[in-house]
Amino acid sequence: MTRAPLLLAASLALASAAQPAFAHHSFAMFDPSKPLQFEATVQSLQWTAPHAVVWVQAGPVGTYGAGLWSLELPTSPANLAKMGWNRNSVKAGDKVVVSINPIRDGRRAGQFKKLTILATGQVLEAGNIPGLAVQPPK
Amino acid sequence: MTRTTPRPLLAALWLALAAPSLAQAAGPAPGAAEPVNPKPTRADWIAIADQPDLSGVWTPGPLDKYPPGNTTEPKWLPAIKPIYERLKQLDAEGRPQNIWVDCLPEGLPSSWTQTLNSLEFLPTPGRITILGELDGNRQRRVWIDGRPHPADPDPSFSGHSIGHWEGQTLVIDTIAFLPQVYISTAQGVGIPNNGDMHVVERITLTGPDSARVDLVVDAPHVLAEPWKASRTLIRHRERSFDLAESSCRQGDFLEGRDKDGLAIWVPLPKDDGGARLPLDQAAIPASKEQKR
Repeated sequence: MTRAPLLLAASLALASAAQPAFAHHSFAMFDPSKPLQFEATVQSLQWTAPHAVVWVQAGPVGTYGAGLWSLELPTSPANLAKMGWNRNSVKAGDKVVVSINPIRDGRRAGQFKKLTILATGQVLEAGNIPGLAVQPPK
Repeated sequence: MTRTTPRPLLAALWLALAAPSLAQAAGPAPGAAEPVNPKPTRADWIAIADQPDLSGVWTPGPLDKYPPGNTTEPKWLPAIKPIYERLKQLDAEGRPQNIWVDCLPEGLPSSWTQTLNSLEFLPTPGRITILGELDGNRQRRVWIDGRPHPADPDPSFSGHSIGHWEGQTLVIDTIAFLPQVYISTAQGVGIPNNGDMHVVERITLTGPDSARVDLVVDAPHVLAEPWKASRTLIRHRERSFDLAESSCRQGDFLEGRDKDGLAIWVPLPKDDGGARLPLDQAAIPASKEQKR
């Protein structure tokens, strides 16, 4: 299994420890105490400021019905590009496993944490900006 | 006299002609020349080479909820403190009262203390322009040509800024903020400055590619004393850090097609806190309502 160069080991530790502090809206509506992981099919990567969004189709997950999920990345395309992402990092039809913090109100939405592309094993995260040793994920 | 111009028309004509001089009445003294931005000379451009070099793209350093050197929160007036504490509590409970979900510019001091986005300084004769990578490349103009603040400037999100160099430090003095501009300590926790805010920034080069911004925020209608905050910056010369267009509202829409096949924006529903939702999830499912 290959790991994407953008995956920084340190980012995982920071991701769990850092206070949620994100560009342009708080992420406090997402619940870090109830993380979810499930298989899904990418519909699109919305490559927009202030936050990019991975849209995925999934079957029933726990008490959630099947349908489209919005998985919001915690920062903008400009910052994601500095972490190694680009607008083609995932493509429509990619089978993936996603890790998210779901929104507290029960809708099919969540904070993106990690994604593995099943065909390649590539892992995508929103980690640190290179050169900033202690910059929390955003 | 064979032709007369109707009086109302004359009055309108007089107003139109007089408008420039009326506008001037609030500015320079009668008879004084309209101030201009002089054509830069070769010497003016060369002089920039002798200024401390702020060129390039800077990323905000370690994101500190309460920035380095300032481990205390702003000292709010007694009437404001409970409002602030309530916002903090709601944020901690997962019900953030977001203050920027409308995508209006952050303004000072939050464009320093809360931002996660890169910025760059563009020095030109008499002025330093600060571009940020959000709000469609928000910009600030800092006049370093010796001019004073205007007597009655129009309020704005980033205010009116004048600056000067003290050694390696660019000192910027800013007034004329809109009273709605937040003093914030988190993305969902902030208090409007309520008017008469005054911000002094000291931007100091601390190394070849590092800088620190020290802020003193005085907002007498909400703060019991001026709030001091700092932020560190790291410079990047890599082209991958060149500022990108970054329109804050764009994320509120999906790319779509209308019935004629034309590319359009499709508005997305959002929750109270600003999270984007699938089109079929605009309402909270009845089965989940009790979870709130």
